[in-house]
Amino acid sequence: MEKKAPYKNINDLQRRIAVYEDEAAYKELFIQLFTSLTRFSTGIVQSKETAEEIVSDVFIKIWNDRARLNEIDDLQLYIYVAVKNNSLRKLKQVNKKSTLSIDAMNIEMDSLYQNPEEKILSNESLKDIDSAINSLPHRAKLIFKLAKEDRMKYKEIASLLNISVKTVDHQLAIALKKITSALGIGSRKKS
Amino acid sequence: MSRDKIWHLFARKLTGEASNEELNEFELLIKEDSSFYYELQAIIQLWEQDEPKDQEYLEATYLLHLERMKEQGIEPGKNVETEEIEIRPFTIFTRQRNKIFAGVLLSGIVVIASVLLYKKKEDKPITINNLVVPKNEVVTKNGSNTQLKLPDGTLVWLNAGSKLDYSRIYETGIREVYLTGEAFFDVVKNPARPFIIHTSTIDVKVLGTAFNVKAYPDDKTVETSLVRGSVEIRVKNRPSEKYLLKPNQKLVLVNENLIEKTIKEQRINTVTVPVITIKKLTYFNGESNAVETAWIQNKLEFKDEPFADLAKRLGRWYDVTFEFRNSYSEEIRLTGSFENETLVQSLEALKIATNFNYKIETDKVIIY
Repeated sequence: MEKKAPYKNINDLQRRIAVYEDEAAYKELFIQLFTSLTRFSTGIVQSKETAEEIVSDVFIKIWNDRARLNEIDDLQLYIYVAVKNNSLRKLKQVNKKSTLSIDAMNIEMDSLYQNPEEKILSNESLKDIDSAINSLPHRAKLIFKLAKEDRMKYKEIASLLNISVKTVDHQLAIALKKITSALGIGSRKKS
Repeated sequence: MSRDKIWHLFARKLTGEASNEELNEFELLIKEDSSFYYELQAIIQLWEQDEPKDQEYLEATYLLHLERMKEQGIEPGKNVETEEIEIRPFTIFTRQRNKIFAGVLLSGIVVIASVLLYKKKEDKPITINNLVVPKNEVVTKNGSNTQLKLPDGTLVWLNAGSKLDYSRIYETGIREVYLTGEAFFDVVKNPARPFIIHTSTIDVKVLGTAFNVKAYPDDKTVETSLVRGSVEIRVKNRPSEKYLLKPNQKLVLVNENLIEKTIKEQRINTVTVPVITIKKLTYFNGESNAVETAWIQNKLEFKDEPFADLAKRLGRWYDVTFEFRNSYSEEIRLTGSFENETLVQSLEALKIATNFNYKIETDKVIIY
C-alpha cells in the first residue's frame, strides 16, 4: 500500500509562481487548497462566507508577494498559518475574544469516499466510520483532518495549532482507535 | 500498553512518519492480535482516498477570486489564452406517474432521462475577460426538477414546471436572473455584485444566502422563504416598499389578479386578507428542514394545506391535472409528506385521511 505523499507538487507550483509568475500554477494552488482552508477558517469564524473572503485575501497577498515566495520553506503551512491568523483577527473584531481554544473549533470534513472499483466497505460501515469521526472530541477531529485531508506532518500540525508533537501523536492515536473500533463493532461477524 | 501502542504506530504509518523499525513493529503487533485486522485494512484504504473535488464549483470560485483581485487593480492572467467553460445541469430527477396499465415503478431517485436544457436561438458565444461562454436558459417540465450551477458558483434547484433565464449573467456580468415557477437558490456571496431574481411580481435581492422563491403564475400566492442569510424583497407594483427577511421567515404575496378573478367567478363574501404577510417557515415536529424546501430532497410536504392548493402542487409533481367536482373537497385541509409514492399511492393515502373519491382518466385526476 502506497503512503500518501504530502502535496509534492506544491513545491513545484511555488517555484513556478515565484520565478515565472505562472497564473496557471497560482490557479492550481488555489483550487487544491481552497476547500480545506475554507473549512479550517469556518471552524474559527463560524461563517462560510467570511471564511471564503479570508482565504481569498490570503491568496491575494500570496500573489502580491510572489517575488519572494521561494523564500518560504513550507508553503502549505505558511498559508494555513496566515488563514488562521486572519481568522482569529476577524473573530476578535466581531467577538472581542482574545483567544480561541482549538477544542472549540468544529471543522467540517470531506465525506468518506471509496474508489468504486475497490469498494470494500458497505454503506453501513461507512456511516459508522463517519459518525465515529464526527463524534470525536473537536481537537482530535481537527488533528485527524489535518493529517488525513491536508496530509500535514506532525511537526506542521503542532506548529499550526501551537501544541506539542507529542500531543499530536497522542490525539491521532485516540482518533484512529475510536474510528477503527467503531467499524469493528458494527461489522464484525462471529468467527 | 501494547494494545495502545498499536494505534500510535498505526497513526505514524498512515501519515508516513513511521520509520522502518516502527513499520515492522506494527506488522508484528497486528499479527499477534488479529481482532482488528480487517478493520485496519479498511481504514488504510479509506485514508488513501480523497473525495473527488467539485471542479466546477472551484473554477467558479476562482473566477470570483480573480474579480476581487481585479477590483484591487491586480490582474494575474493578462496574457492567458481564452478558455471555454461549459455549463450544464448535472442532476436530473424524474418521477414516474403510475399509469393504470403500466406496472413498472421506479422508486429510485436518479433517472437520467431527457435533457431539459433549452438553448436560446442565437447561440453566439460572448467574450468577457478572456473567457468564451455560451448563453443559457433552463426549463423544467411538470414531473421533474433539475439542479444546476451558475457561472458564479451559485447553486439553483429548479422545481417542476419552471423556467430560469440566466443569460444576463454572461452578457453584462451582472448577476440577474428571471424566474417563472419555483427555485431554491444557494447564492455565492459577492458584495460587489448583488444577485437579483426577477419574477413577474417581485424582485429579490441577495448578497449570499440560501432561499426559495415560489412564483407560479397560476398560484394564489408568491412566496419567498429564507433559510439562511438575508434578502431584500421589492414588490413590483409597490416600488416604495422594501421587505427584509431574516432566516426562517417567508414572505407571502397574495396574487391579487387571481383572487379578484376567483371572487368574480364564485361571488364569495370575502374576509380581508392582507396582501403581504411575513410568516415563519413551517416545520414538522423534529424535522430540521422546512416544509417549504422539502421538494429539494424530492419530498412533497404539506401542512394544513387546502386540497385545491395541494392539487396544484401534486399536478406539477406528477404531471397530471386535477378536476374537482365539488367545492367541499377543494377545501379539505391536508397534512403529510410524500417521497417516492406513485400518484395512486398518494391518492390512496390521502383518501384514508379524509373523505373523497377519485378516478383517473389518462392524465387527469377527477375528485368527486
